[in-house]
Amino acid sequence: MDTPRLIRPRVRLVGGVCAGFAEHTGLPLPVVRTVTVLLTVCGGAGALLYAWLWATTPVAENSADPLKNVLTRPTDAASADSGRVRSAPVTEILLGVALLAAAAALVASRLGVDVPLAFVIPAIVVLSGAGLAWRQFDDLRQQRSSSSSALLVRALGALVLVALGILLFFVTGEEPNVWTVFTAAIAVLFGVAIVVAPWLVRLTRDLADERAARVREADRAEIAAHLHDSVLQTLALIQQKADPSSEASRLARAQERELRDWLFAGSPASSVDLAAELRRIAAVIEQEYAAQIDVVSAGQSPPSVPDALLGAAREAMLNAARHAGGMVSVFLESSPTAVDLTVTDRGPGLVLDDIPADRMGVRESILGRMHRIGGTAELVPGPGGTGTEVRLSLPLNAGVHHVES
Amino acid sequence: MSSPENRELTVVIVDDHSIFRSGLRADLADDIRVLGEAATVDEAVDLVVATGPRVVLLDVHLPGGAGGGGAEVIRRAAQQAPNTRFLALSVSDAADDVVTVIRSGARGYITKSASGADVSDAARRVAEGDAVFSPRLAGFVLDAFGAVSGETAEASDELDRLSAREQEVMRLIARGYAYKEVATSLFISVKTVETHVSSVLRKLQLSSRHELTAWALERKLL
Repeated sequence: MDTPRLIRPRVRLVGGVCAGFAEHTGLPLPVVRTVTVLLTVCGGAGALLYAWLWATTPVAENSADPLKNVLTRPTDAASADSGRVRSAPVTEILLGVALLAAAAALVASRLGVDVPLAFVIPAIVVLSGAGLAWRQFDDLRQQRSSSSSALLVRALGALVLVALGILLFFVTGEEPNVWTVFTAAIAVLFGVAIVVAPWLVRLTRDLADERAARVREADRAEIAAHLHDSVLQTLALIQQKADPSSEASRLARAQERELRDWLFAGSPASSVDLAAELRRIAAVIEQEYAAQIDVVSAGQSPPSVPDALLGAAREAMLNAARHAGGMVSVFLESSPTAVDLTVTDRGPGLVLDDIPADRMGVRESILGRMHRIGGTAELVPGPGGTGTEVRLSLPLNAGVHHVES
Repeated sequence: MSSPENRELTVVIVDDHSIFRSGLRADLADDIRVLGEAATVDEAVDLVVATGPRVVLLDVHLPGGAGGGGAEVIRRAAQQAPNTRFLALSVSDAADDVVTVIRSGARGYITKSASGADVSDAARRVAEGDAVFSPRLAGFVLDAFGAVSGETAEASDELDRLSAREQEVMRLIARGYAYKEVATSLFISVKTVETHVSSVLRKLQLSSRHELTAWALERKLL
């Protein structure tokens, strides 16, 4: 999928630059990674480009829309919180490379090769100091660690390392005079500023984002409260006044449902669970038939249920709305071991033996479906002997689920 | 002093929407006398204390007072009107609202889309000391007390779990059964059903299980 803006995803291998670029342009990720590595090997352009993009592109919004995240990346649901954790220990690797480079430089100079040690050693110290500092600042900004004061100390330590490295450039110079000292001081100041700047920029951006989000949330809450107090009340009143099977009542109910969905949208609890799905089906059926379908749920829906269960439930609700009408109750109970669903109506009643064998509706679409997925379906008289109650039961973790195609 | 059963059913309607108040007033059964209407928390407390109705039909969301809505009315008025019972009416589906008002002492909760006859029935039931549960509230109770995952109270005085019978009653109410239908299905008397529901209400009000209000808020169950 092409993203309109180049952003770095939170789930990433190194800095997320390649992944972000691939997503932005639609190129396959392995190709982008290979090209980057090739460019890096051939003269280091890849690394520079990578660093530049890393510094300038923002990180993907952190679950601005948790619902959407859950919907689009089901496998990442568990990593929604741990998504920030990088999968490669970049800092450690870079530090190791720096140490290796320092050691190699030392060995090479011992062996007589003319290595500009006076330049190489301070450079390595500065670079590793900068890397460490950035890492600490990043942690500090995300409050990843429990004690931020310890982080601050470590970040300051890394900054001192940067300063030391810069000073080393000048200490190794031959005769120190006023100008050397002056230049060294300026250089240290600039060096530290360059290391700190990206962190400060990000911090201000975070603050601005946060403030904007708060304002949006407050606006939304106010609108929701207003609609809740005025429109929802009126819709409730219309339903109360109108005949339950009338057009006015049906419209009011449909509107109430829609408004409620909108008002409570974004709250994770009203997400992709079975109960929400049943409510959606109920809303569709209510538009067509003179029935009020009340869906009540208890327990946490299992992460996935066979489509056939929903299909059977839909058929039962449709039957109730079509043949009985009026008030239809749907009760869903999801325990860790089973899903039980009852659809109760107060219509003329339905006895399975009386149904002609050629009427496939109930037999096939409810009973047959449930049997095929290893569940059971029962038709019993409704409350007090009137109406019909359809009881669907599906044991969980019980063998293979033949999901209906 | 006459026994409660002989007194006529007097109610006070508390809701900040005048259209709703007048609509409900016109829809209530003929034998229910409305003593007055109030639109804010402070008005409601004054009116309830002054008139001492048997039942207050109380909106969960109300302006005024300390911002506590219906729950605040119950807390402030209950001591000065000990014979008054509260029935919460709400368009809200928010579990924390409903649980808060129940835990403040309301004897039941129904939605505002209930018909005038349903509200009248519920008011009568509450006046007689019984509890009124909507299917949604019953579903929430089953969930909140762990009945869904198979927890069952062993002793009858246990506050944090439901007895097997209470679970059966709650399940049927959640399926939309009226008390009478619950009684027929379980081969018990309506009075016994009422006893079970009242016992569940007491647990809902007193139990410290999972800190019910916070738990409801977190899971948005109703």
